[in-house]
Amino acid sequence: MSETTHPSPGRSAGSQFLGSEQLVLALILAALCIAISIAAPQFYSEANIIAILRQCALVLIVASGMTMLIITAEVDLSVGASLAFVGCIGMAALNATHSLALGFLAALAFGGGVGLINGLVATKLKVNSLIGTIGMMMMLQGGVYLFTREAVQNHHHIAAFTDLGAGYVGPIPVPVIFAAVIFAVAYVTLRFTTLGRYIYAVGANEKAVRLSGMRSDRLKLFAFVVTGLCVGVAGMILASLMNAGQPTAGRGFELTVIAAVILGGTSLFGGRGSIVGTLLGVLLLKVIDNGIIILGWNQDLQMVVPGVVIIVASYLDIMRNRANAS
Amino acid sequence: MTNASTAIDAAATGPSFVARLLRHQEMALLLCLVLVIAFFSFTAENFFSVRNMTNVLGQASLALTAGIGCAIVFISGEVDISIGSLLATIALPLIIIMNETGSLALGVSGALLFGLIVGCINGYLTAYVGINSLIVTLGMMFVLRGGVYLYTGQRAIPDDAMLDSFILLSDGRLFNVIPYSAVIALILLFAFAYMMRHRPFGRQIYAVGGNQEVARLAGYDVRRVKFICFIISALLATVAGIILAARVGSAQHTAGLNFEFQVVAATVLGGVSLAGGIGSLWGMALGVLILQFLSNGLRGLGLPTEWQLVITGMIIIAAVAFDEAKRRRANGG
Repeated sequence: MSETTHPSPGRSAGSQFLGSEQLVLALILAALCIAISIAAPQFYSEANIIAILRQCALVLIVASGMTMLIITAEVDLSVGASLAFVGCIGMAALNATHSLALGFLAALAFGGGVGLINGLVATKLKVNSLIGTIGMMMMLQGGVYLFTREAVQNHHHIAAFTDLGAGYVGPIPVPVIFAAVIFAVAYVTLRFTTLGRYIYAVGANEKAVRLSGMRSDRLKLFAFVVTGLCVGVAGMILASLMNAGQPTAGRGFELTVIAAVILGGTSLFGGRGSIVGTLLGVLLLKVIDNGIIILGWNQDLQMVVPGVVIIVASYLDIMRNRANAS
Repeated sequence: MTNASTAIDAAATGPSFVARLLRHQEMALLLCLVLVIAFFSFTAENFFSVRNMTNVLGQASLALTAGIGCAIVFISGEVDISIGSLLATIALPLIIIMNETGSLALGVSGALLFGLIVGCINGYLTAYVGINSLIVTLGMMFVLRGGVYLYTGQRAIPDDAMLDSFILLSDGRLFNVIPYSAVIALILLFAFAYMMRHRPFGRQIYAVGGNQEVARLAGYDVRRVKFICFIISALLATVAGIILAARVGSAQHTAGLNFEFQVVAATVLGGVSLAGGIGSLWGMALGVLILQFLSNGLRGLGLPTEWQLVITGMIIIAAVAFDEAKRRRANGG
């Protein structure tokens, strides 16, 4: 399955970008878009497409980091709890300093710090990251209430802060630009740099990477910190959207992010996966959400349908692999 | 206690009997539990009383029951994180059937049947189709939780039947001392611990989790073993869900939120490896009790629940880190 990571030169540009693994997903997404727009033509309105992209932004930002992390065969379940905490810290720092730069710095430092601790626990203490980050999740969920009992309100009224979540550059929402930039950086890193190659290598065979003289721990640590920094950015945008730092925000966010990454074909065992798949996974989940609202269905279906989609997509992927093998 | 870590311990000759004893996973955990209880007995008011001890046991019965299934699935080399949502879901058939028919037996049968179906789906997709169990049960978790939200409209469905036998499940105590929920959990624990140690099927589970290829070559039906493990897990989560429904007296759409994380944490704390093939149900049980006594004691000290979360999180990381360090030293690396 290494074709995804090292495309053979003979393929067309389109299939190189998508990779055969993402084809199923792209087809599902296309079919879904067509079906929804037949049922509800307003799906293809400019306003709705922008609304979908805006909803994708937060998930895509964190999922970009998470894709790298899962490719290194680690995982971070604390991102949802961290997202809420980052928003509170960022907002508190803004209230104290009245400086967007310092507020953003505080959010990034906190998010990155959480990622660093997660990474150190996983690489130095050798704690399975599934468990280590569950522990971190508990600490952050408790910690955010010790930090603030209620939402941290916006007392600084900095216009640029409001723009983080609600602003536009031309027709494009600011969060979408953040997401696009972070996605592009992650794409280039994983695809075209030596660092990216090593990230795949450490997930595929950590021992081989260590024996060939690379510090596998540092690569994993890097992926943890990047994920944490992504949470820092997403947390600030979320705080801006809600105009407050909400300690209750981000419940279940980690599962949405991981679902999108897995849906995109990234293997939980590491070494395999693509950031383009993650993009498709995020789009698919959010188009489903949007379709349910547009069609006027019960919004509780927003939990059921993604669950079914995750399983069906994995099933189709396995069937396709078997068909290819035979 | 003949698990893999013990085998490693036995190979290394320790300096003293006590030190050798401590190398046993379960002994170290037991010591931890005793220390936790001793600490809070001196510091927290009303902690060391029969009433409080049995209360904690009753509270632990949920995680204990579901933890058996969680540990068995772990030992078989898979994971099941759908148990929290299942806890909430099976309360629906239970309460609805009881309200309609006024029969506890029918309600419980309905709940168990539902759990069985969910276990079969999880097991089939994992063992026979070959989808990663984390993905399958993550999907199932969404489907079940969303299904409960859909069906209930995010409102609790109260138990109108008010059957004595059902209420007894939450309030009743054997000999007026031990809560019935704890009795059920302990009976299940003993039964399954016996199975894991002394029945061929238990050994098959260890073999499959330890090395799937070797187990296959030894003639075990790997798929069937895993399939059954998922059914066991779902049925035990169902039993936990019935106990929970009795305790809250209704079917709650938010029941069991994050429950899977608590159970996974306790199971791993108890020395059951996520990699499969290692650990014991006794270890899991000690893990559950340590966390339960800890949170009870911290509450007794007057600490807010938030601190309990923080401290529990730290202890889980510390315990697993300690265990990992010990294992590496035992392996000489």
